[in-house]
Amino acid sequence: MQTISMLALVTIVIAVLIVIIFKDWRVIAVALGAQYLGAFALVALSWPVNLAIVKLITGWMASSVIAFTCLRQNRERSQPEKAASLFFRGLTGLLVIVLIFILAPSMQERIFPGVDLVIIQGGLMMMGMTLMQLGLNSEPYPVIISLFTFLSGFEVIHAALELSTLLTGLFVVVNLGLSLAGVYLMVSAEETSESIQEEEL
Amino acid sequence: MTLSTPVIWVIFPLVAAAICILLSGRPQLSLIIASAIAFGLAVLAAFLPHELSLGPLTIVLEESLRFLGRRITLVYAMLPLIALLYAATGLWLLSSNLPGVPKTFRPISLVVTAALTAALGVEPFLYAALLIETMVLVSVPMLSSSTIENRRAVLRFLSLMTLAMPFILIAGWLLTGVDTLPPDSPLIAQSAIVLGLGFAIWLAVFPFHSWVPMISQHSHPTVFSFLFFILPTGVLVFGLNFFNRYGFLRTSETLFNIIRLIGVLMIAYGGVSTAVQDHLKRAFGFSVLVETGFSLLAISSASSGGIIWMLMMLPPRALGYWLWGYTLARLESRYDMVLNLKAIQGQSLRFPFLSSGLILAQFSIAGMPLLASFPIKIALLSQVLAENMVSGLWSFFGGLGLFIFTIRLLLSFHQPIDIEIKQPWFLQDKFPHFLPIILTVVILIISGLFPGKIFPSIIDILAAFPQLQFLP
Repeated sequence: MQTISMLALVTIVIAVLIVIIFKDWRVIAVALGAQYLGAFALVALSWPVNLAIVKLITGWMASSVIAFTCLRQNRERSQPEKAASLFFRGLTGLLVIVLIFILAPSMQERIFPGVDLVIIQGGLMMMGMTLMQLGLNSEPYPVIISLFTFLSGFEVIHAALELSTLLTGLFVVVNLGLSLAGVYLMVSAEETSESIQEEEL
Repeated sequence: MTLSTPVIWVIFPLVAAAICILLSGRPQLSLIIASAIAFGLAVLAAFLPHELSLGPLTIVLEESLRFLGRRITLVYAMLPLIALLYAATGLWLLSSNLPGVPKTFRPISLVVTAALTAALGVEPFLYAALLIETMVLVSVPMLSSSTIENRRAVLRFLSLMTLAMPFILIAGWLLTGVDTLPPDSPLIAQSAIVLGLGFAIWLAVFPFHSWVPMISQHSHPTVFSFLFFILPTGVLVFGLNFFNRYGFLRTSETLFNIIRLIGVLMIAYGGVSTAVQDHLKRAFGFSVLVETGFSLLAISSASSGGIIWMLMMLPPRALGYWLWGYTLARLESRYDMVLNLKAIQGQSLRFPFLSSGLILAQFSIAGMPLLASFPIKIALLSQVLAENMVSGLWSFFGGLGLFIFTIRLLLSFHQPIDIEIKQPWFLQDKFPHFLPIILTVVILIISGLFPGKIFPSIIDILAAFPQLQFLP
């Protein structure tokens, strides 16, 4: 069990780092899928697998909706980014990771004494990375992805505190609602840029 | 036959919203259906007997509905608030045929009100945080996102509201069993801080307020005036649950002092920002911060009946916001341009009713004597002045911000422009356009002259919070 939870934590750390560093939606979609898998493994430490799997399926559904929107929009690969930009984002990500590893044990001791440290680390990792990501972006796609990650991180921690079918259902509604809101904003962003291009022509 | 209150005020509006979506091709019909349903639900909530007899059919009403192992309970004591929420929704729906209002406004406003109603009754009450988040997500499509600035505002709104929800849920978990802890336990302070952060983000308390003026500047006035009424109202009433349930929050003098400080800060900051605005819609956004500040100020005076004032402020605020939004929407459709003080110069001669309606709506919200908010705000300010002179003075001067802006607006409306010197002025107001303005202004004046006569039963909802009736 410990191996699985450690593997899940490593998966989450790598996934959130990829999400913060890279901008290609294909890479992010794969990383998001892996991140939900890690989150599922951590939730399964506290919940029965048949209920924990709801989180995995919902996460995959929500991220698929966003990925398919990117595919439909036929987003071209953005120009290769400068190494300095990638390095900066990677460094900020690493700083968040180090910070979470320092903070998590004291948070476990003071706030969540009955919760496994790996769960706290995994959850905080996703939430902390989200705050960093939100600070770096203002476009619909990265913001919505960040909010998915934030909710996923919170759900991992909250699952260790409470088990409720209604709460699970409401989280499903929120995740899917967020994906639909994201699609709406992404589509309207595309329409705006198209109309600007037409005006320029 | 047995029917439950959540079926009537949660499920039925959702069905009505679905009907409105189906009727989106027939705007007049969907307008009539949506408004009739909202007002019907408001009337039903205001005058509902425990048992309905329709000929041989007897309908017994239950207060609970079981759902996925939990319950949604809408107790009779909460019905006056539900009546207010649906009446306000109906009012906004009536103006949903104004030019520029998104097609999605009708179904979404019904869903938002239904979600808020469910949030007021869900058990455990902490799950309301998720319902409020659902309400936020649903409201995204009705907020304009056609330009980069609009989208940025909506994304900021969405992000902050989503970040707030976990704070409330974690605080709720931390608060479990906190009543049995000794008063000096660090857990008490931790849970209060987490809870406070959640509410601060939800209520757009400084420095989490940036989305409010952004949304008001870029969205349709009908839409944002509705959102700015319904969202803080729901959050404030939801917040009463915490005071009702946790004794240490109710009796903490420090907490009430902090709430007062935050309230005063919001009034002062919002007031100064409103006074210096040139954009009419942005000024609305900043005055929303002032109104939230007044609500917090009222809560901070809970031991002197402040919660009653907070509740009594809601009906005049609904009317004021509606009239403000309505007149702004009419002006915007007339000018088809940025609504700033320069653009509306001299327009009181063209649109005397519209401009008067706008001025009176702002004065009413600001607490002008003879208008609806005045009796409550003067009582609240007097109480705060008696309790703490510094807070009272800052609140008073902050409250003047909207007065100053309204006077600037008044001067701008009456400032002659060259074209009017050359041409005689002519009335462009149309009777169907200014009739709602006259009716609302009459109600605002009656409310000001006879305080507490409009929706007097709103304070009866305190029966749902038994502990708040006996605050020390």
